[in-house]
Amino acid sequence: MEKFRPDFQMKNPVMFVTEIAFIISIFVVFFPSYFDAPSTGVYISFYIAVAILLFLTLLFSNLSTTLSEEQSKTISASLKKMKTETNATRVNDSVKETVPSDQLRSGDLVIVSAGEVIPGDGEVVSGSGYVNESNVTGESRPVRKIQGDSVTGSTTLQTDELVIRITANPGETYIDKMIEIVEAAVREKTPNEIALSTLLSGLTLIFLMVTASIFALSDFLGFTSNTDILIVLLIALIPTTIGGLMPAIGIAAVNKISQFNVISKSGRAVENAGDVDTIILDKTGTVTMGDREAIRFYPNSSVQEKDFIKYCALASLQDNTMEGMSIVKLAREKGVEVSDADLAGFEFLPFSADTRFSGVKGKDTYIYKGALSTMLKNHKLSDTFIVALCKEISLRGGTALPVVKDGKFVGVIELNDTLKPGIKQRLDLLKKMNIKTIMCTGDDEVTASYFSNLSGIDEYVANSTPVDKFNVVISEKAKQRMVAMVGDGTNDAPALAKADVGMAMNKGTAPAKDAANMIDLDSDPTKLMDVIFIGKQILITRGALTTFSIANDVSKYFVIIPAMFYFIPALGALNILGLENPLTAITSALIFNTIIIPLMVPMAIRGVRYRPSSIAELFRRNILIYGLGGIIVPFLAIKVIYVLLSILGVGW
Amino acid sequence: MSYDPFGISSLSGYGNSFWQVNRVASGVVIILIYLAIVIIFGVIISSFISKIYRDQDTWLTPISGRIVSFFEKIIGEGSERQMKFREYFLTLLFFNAAAGVISFIFIFYQRDFPFAFANNHMTVSLTFNTVSSFLTNTNLQHYSNPFDLSYLSQTFVITGLMFLSAGTGFAASMAFIRGILQDKGTIGNFYHDFLVSIFYLILPLTLLVTVILIISGIPETTLSYISVQPVFSSVTYRVPLGSVATLEAIKNIGTNGGGFYGANAAFPFENPNWFTNITEFTSFLLIPLGSIIALGRVFSNRRFMVMLVSVLMIFFVFTAFLTFYGEITGIPSLSTLGVIYNGNMVGKETAIGIAGSSIFSIGATITSTGASNAILAAYSPAGLLGNLVNLLINDPVGGIGTGVLNIFTSVIFTVFIASLMVGKLPELMSIKIGSKEIKYSTLSLITHPLLIIIPLGVTLMIPSIMASFTNPKPDAITELLYEFATSASNNGSEVGGFLTNQVYFNVLDGIIMILGRYVIMGFQLKIADLFSNKKPKVEIGKSIDTGSFYFGLMLLGVMLLVGLLSFFPILALGPILSWARAFEQSIWMVIR
Repeated sequence: MEKFRPDFQMKNPVMFVTEIAFIISIFVVFFPSYFDAPSTGVYISFYIAVAILLFLTLLFSNLSTTLSEEQSKTISASLKKMKTETNATRVNDSVKETVPSDQLRSGDLVIVSAGEVIPGDGEVVSGSGYVNESNVTGESRPVRKIQGDSVTGSTTLQTDELVIRITANPGETYIDKMIEIVEAAVREKTPNEIALSTLLSGLTLIFLMVTASIFALSDFLGFTSNTDILIVLLIALIPTTIGGLMPAIGIAAVNKISQFNVISKSGRAVENAGDVDTIILDKTGTVTMGDREAIRFYPNSSVQEKDFIKYCALASLQDNTMEGMSIVKLAREKGVEVSDADLAGFEFLPFSADTRFSGVKGKDTYIYKGALSTMLKNHKLSDTFIVALCKEISLRGGTALPVVKDGKFVGVIELNDTLKPGIKQRLDLLKKMNIKTIMCTGDDEVTASYFSNLSGIDEYVANSTPVDKFNVVISEKAKQRMVAMVGDGTNDAPALAKADVGMAMNKGTAPAKDAANMIDLDSDPTKLMDVIFIGKQILITRGALTTFSIANDVSKYFVIIPAMFYFIPALGALNILGLENPLTAITSALIFNTIIIPLMVPMAIRGVRYRPSSIAELFRRNILIYGLGGIIVPFLAIKVIYVLLSILGVGW
Repeated sequence: MSYDPFGISSLSGYGNSFWQVNRVASGVVIILIYLAIVIIFGVIISSFISKIYRDQDTWLTPISGRIVSFFEKIIGEGSERQMKFREYFLTLLFFNAAAGVISFIFIFYQRDFPFAFANNHMTVSLTFNTVSSFLTNTNLQHYSNPFDLSYLSQTFVITGLMFLSAGTGFAASMAFIRGILQDKGTIGNFYHDFLVSIFYLILPLTLLVTVILIISGIPETTLSYISVQPVFSSVTYRVPLGSVATLEAIKNIGTNGGGFYGANAAFPFENPNWFTNITEFTSFLLIPLGSIIALGRVFSNRRFMVMLVSVLMIFFVFTAFLTFYGEITGIPSLSTLGVIYNGNMVGKETAIGIAGSSIFSIGATITSTGASNAILAAYSPAGLLGNLVNLLINDPVGGIGTGVLNIFTSVIFTVFIASLMVGKLPELMSIKIGSKEIKYSTLSLITHPLLIIIPLGVTLMIPSIMASFTNPKPDAITELLYEFATSASNNGSEVGGFLTNQVYFNVLDGIIMILGRYVIMGFQLKIADLFSNKKPKVEIGKSIDTGSFYFGLMLLGVMLLVGLLSFFPILALGPILSWARAFEQSIWMVIR
């Protein structure tokens, strides 16, 4: 009910005018003589009908908004369910104390044991364990978290023990932010919505003045114009369809994104997503499956196969990546067992996107595995056999992982990687939409070109580091293009912040999530493309409804003006629908104007069906459907309503 | 009878040539010839204009460039000192305001200056109206007596303002295009742009047209007047003379439209024959159409230009034939009475005829010229409607310079909705259109109808004002609508039908003209300012194709729906009602 308050409606000039018109129409019902309006029985029932229809117009507009808001409430409620208040064990200078989770501050250290709920967003300081994140991501498989990984509050640690540094104050955790966004941020208008409201207000102002001028015109011509009919004309002319549905479309946008388990920090980011020109993709996990598996060991000449497999297994034992684990697994299948005991005296160097290698380092020995170019450079090596082998593996789409032990290549591990199913089709769609795709990969030139050719990527950056990714964003932005990217590491944060649409993976680090304007709870990078579709759909819905709304005016003029001046037979030529009873004709036009709003609600909330196709084709189709359709449909509909009313005997 | 398939032998005879018998067919051909000629000349001038728009040298640079830099040295300005929107627009306003004030003083006290007759006088309100009219490129003339203005006022003030308003308009379009092309945040130097407009474009063309008009017989003399005693009269009339050809040239080249004589181009000294008619028609369409055709080269986007010209030509052809239809059918009820009726020749010059008059008046209203070679008040309702349509959509081809500004406002509006429909954020010429651009484009689009509708509604409510309208009431609505539409669109063509020279209309029209000119121009230059701060995108694929058929269709739709259809109720009770009434005599009784 609060939505009927005029101060609330003020924000939406179209509906504000409708509301004022509604109030006046009520007065006309009770005091027709005050408005010099005829007060015979026929007219009174007409006035009542108008008042009811105007009320329905307001109601439908408000209902559509409420419907969208209900949706967001459901989403925020389910988000709130994720939030679990729990007790946390805080470590303060090795003094342990139990505090409620809402008293934790950023920087606090907490210990979480197996089976406990993680009390807040944070970063693993030490320990490792499997965390069940199903309440946030919907993914039932527990995720292994090790030192440096980020954890989300309210998820459950299933095994082992973790020491976590809390990174968010109470009320500032991601879930809190998401709830806040879903509940509130949507009401803030995006620049695009502001532009559209300006345009609609402008049109409303013109129509208001035109309608007012009819008072003067008819006064001059020597007859009294019926206030109620003028009200109907005004309401029919102002773009009530788009005006009434605009708030609903805006809310629906953020809701739709949320249903995809993506949280957008602003409505603007969703709109920008629709307009993306360039999208920067990671190879691993986006274009390819990413769970790279070791499939073969190739020892260098003069290296025993068993020895080589053992080196590989040692270098990978503490490597928690899928890659590392698959190497140890393959080694085990080949009959080579290694245990932590074998690694005594070794230090594990995890992979980082900057160093681009990982391995173990002992006192005076080391085993490293990493990209060929890095290895060649770091160790000033040249080995034609290894280089040729790597190239061959790359050419068939595999990833070659050369292993260096104490300054010599000892062999190459072949990892296989495959395209994600359906990725090619999705990239084809992007191409159709004129979106340029750039793939960034730490792999070498050959692998990168292999996969980009296979999947239809436009450009690739091989051997890339996070700095390269940032540079790609900057260079594309310099060309004034809208850039979208996905990132998860801290190193990605600057690029994410710079990109117009930066989507961080939920499993990513806190800085990445802070820098991004969208967070994907499922940590599925291909979702960026879904977000782009949704963004486009919202813009299309708005454009289509605006065009439809404005195009509708043609028919309304041709129905209402001749009906309004039915006593001037010369204007009968304008009555192209041949509606004989003027009051019924006017009522029919208003009925159409009213019911079109609820009829369009599903479209506003669901969005116009968007089939990715070339812009020219899309434009042609939409202008025919919503432009020409918007001119023709109301003519037909009003005629049908008129005939129905006549059959029902509503002749006023 | 000799073989003569084309009827050539009978062309010089009378009555039996196809073209003489079939006045409709010949009229259609004449109109098409006029349209073809302006397109040809528009294309010819466009490459020259595109060079000016891109600040490139032209073959006139050796002469005009020197003159421009000579003046720039005197005033100490130049293209090196680029202005931002604020300074540019304020300079433009100040420059125009100063000229306005000086002109006002000069005209008001014109009797105290040399070369004046004792009866050269204008009231305060008429002076205000006249000055704002010529300052804003409107040239609405609420005075008709050629003796209202002294020779000095006519030669210096009126002609001077004609150059000034044309130069200002073209300078604004230069700034607008610079805003799109450049991304430095500045839009040019007003003084430089103004001088370039005058010395590269307007003055040379004026001189050229003057020469052509003198050769074709239009007076250019220092004689003050000639005395004429018509054969049927015993009274001797004094017909003033002067530099008619020069005024005629700048009147048309600068899309001004205010004639030397009150009857404008209907007066034989201004427009004696078919050749001067077509020359004047071409000269007032030359720069507006040429500027739009030049956009193809300026933005290296031929398709966009072809789309724009096509949309404008649809308006041109439609309104031209609507008016021609209205005039050739005249009053249908007369034909039904069995009267041999060859169309509405009332108020038309026989040397020019119905087709020549119709296309001339449409050319004058589709640009902001407003010159007329026939009496518009005597046009049939349908004939007048054709002209009115053009005025209501703010002179589609536009005045000198303003045509480019106006069409871009509509294009921005269209691009916005069209882009949304394909799921893109709007961009024009690869520059992002933000909410502010939409705001100013909407503002400039609605200012025009508001400037017409509000005064119309208010005036209709004042019985004492409406008392001076002598025609039937629907006609009075048409006349009033026309009066405000011509002021708001800075056109200047006039139907009259009531006492225009009264304080109310002098002041009100003057204000409408000033708002219609500078407010809209301010909004449009503000858009240029916003564009001037944005870099164009390096396109991968096209966003919305502004050169496509469907975009053209949508632009047409926007101009019709937003521009024209908002006037539908007023049109229905004005010209459409008069028109319908012409078919049905019985209605006379109802409305009268």
